[in-house]
Amino acid sequence: MKLNMVGKNIIRVDAEAKVTGEALYPQDIYLDNMVYGKTVRSTKPHAYIKVDIREAEKVDGVLKVFTYKDVPNKNEHGVVLKDHEVFASRKAIRVGEPIAFIVAETVRACEEAYRKIRIDYEELPAVFDPIEAMKEDAPKIHGDSNIIYHYKLRRGDIEEGKKKSKYIVENVYKSPMVEHAFLQPEAGLAYVEEDGTVVVVIATQYPHYDREEVAINLGLPEEKVKIINTNVGGAFGAREDITAQIHLALAAMVLKRPVKVIYSREESFLAHSKRHPMIMKYKTGADENGYLQYMEAEIIGDAGAHCSWAMNVLRKAGVHATGPYVIPHVKVDSYAVYTNNPFTGAMRGFGATQVPIAHEQQMDALAEKLGMNPIEFRMKNIFRKGSITATGQVLVDSVPLDRCIEAVDKSFKFSQLWKEGK
Amino acid sequence: MVDISLTVNDRLYEISIDENMRLIDVLRDELGLIGTKEGCGEGECGACTVIMDGEIVNSCLVMGFQANGSNIVTIEGLKKDGKLHPVQRAYIEAGAVQCGFCIPGMVLATKALLDKNPNPSDEEIREGISGNLCRCTGYNKMLVATKKAMVYMKGE
Ligand code: FES
Ligand code: FES
Repeated sequence: MKLNMVGKNIIRVDAEAKVTGEALYPQDIYLDNMVYGKTVRSTKPHAYIKVDIREAEKVDGVLKVFTYKDVPNKNEHGVVLKDHEVFASRKAIRVGEPIAFIVAETVRACEEAYRKIRIDYEELPAVFDPIEAMKEDAPKIHGDSNIIYHYKLRRGDIEEGKKKSKYIVENVYKSPMVEHAFLQPEAGLAYVEEDGTVVVVIATQYPHYDREEVAINLGLPEEKVKIINTNVGGAFGAREDITAQIHLALAAMVLKRPVKVIYSREESFLAHSKRHPMIMKYKTGADENGYLQYMEAEIIGDAGAHCSWAMNVLRKAGVHATGPYVIPHVKVDSYAVYTNNPFTGAMRGFGATQVPIAHEQQMDALAEKLGMNPIEFRMKNIFRKGSITATGQVLVDSVPLDRCIEAVDKSFKFSQLWKEGK
Repeated sequence: MVDISLTVNDRLYEISIDENMRLIDVLRDELGLIGTKEGCGEGECGACTVIMDGEIVNSCLVMGFQANGSNIVTIEGLKKDGKLHPVQRAYIEAGAVQCGFCIPGMVLATKALLDKNPNPSDEEIREGISGNLCRCTGYNKMLVATKKAMVYMKGE
């Protein structure tokens, strides 16, 4: 087979524009007659809110302060569940949740108006620990249960697996919340074309979803909404959920002027998702010859205040919970749970990145119990061509994991040092 | 308002600016040089790096009036007569460019390093770009690019 691309050094199409500074990100675009926006966000994790915008709207240069009352339709968005409000209406459920959007002739007028917005918070009990949040009597974020999703994986018979296991290790692992920190903070513009089409210029991972969400909330047909994706200054999953898109579109549609917003780094942290922290309880057993017999895992993922991709991420964590090992008896329960924490969503690996912290340390702990080189222990149990995963998938194609481990072992001299007792 | 004069990319500007404008605002909002990026606004990320009188500075930490009388090079000033600067060429060829938001600052930091030290060690290269954060590449490609640029610059 003749390959045109693979193995060749191909120069990316946008590289030259990026090294010369010509590549445009939303913050780099200036339009005639443009006005500026600033988002007002909740400073409380869980509270009933009352917003008074009267003084802010009196500030010289302020055109309008938008709140939930100005959203023509729905006031909701979200990639799976529509559990984000465009602007919090009755209740704020996390720090950083948008409450209002100030639009003014200058950034300075926006800032002055920002100081004049009055928000009365009637604070509610909040919950920050997902295990607490799963309890019946926990404060509820949305509806009457905080459990968004429960994924079950069952294979074989756990009791039999236990009987066959001479060595069992049981541990709890916790992985933290992580911020993507893409280098280009969120920014965007919106304007209205002559025929009434609302155009949003933004760096996004989902122009097609954005279009739908903007159209629904503005009460426009989708053909009347255009999303222009600029260069994207890093995303890593954090540009999958809506941030400024609907605020900008709404303001441009109502004011009939181009509107621009640029988030500071601090606001960027508040605005987008994080990586799901996970609490992973693992029990893993092996027989006297070092073959894995069973694994039981409970994985609890903190979704924060909005679902975003919580079910997809926790399903992936559950599917990958065994790691690349053949285990005949498996029981996995993974849960996604609402709390009043910052919301979590997509981030590189999407749930598959947290579980290795647990399954790999389980492997090391078991090898230690067996007094076996952890590399040798892994080699006994890894997926190879023809292996069956815990979800029942037969791996018929290439599974070059053995080669990978051998190469790593060689370059780290791990087995050699292990033999020498180091 | 305050009057300042400064040279940017070999061109003299005499402008009147707001006292509380930072150099990055002068470059972007007044002069339209949007290649200079703002990633943090507090001196952490280096996206706003420009060369001021031969030294790299974070233009988000320099006030506009402090740039009075100075000579500044921004990313727009590197390509001359339609020809890329060797550092720019090397970055492209080494695949050191991903999302691109750190790149103007990174390229300028690399140029400033090589202008002062045409033969930096790996250690010195890492040190030279240590004020510039990149969230995409993992930095090794910048090291490769810098070494390529070293060779190109000697050939010129
Ligand atoms: S924007 Fe100046 S250092 Fe980050
Ligand atoms: S290329 Fe994206 S931050 Fe460096």
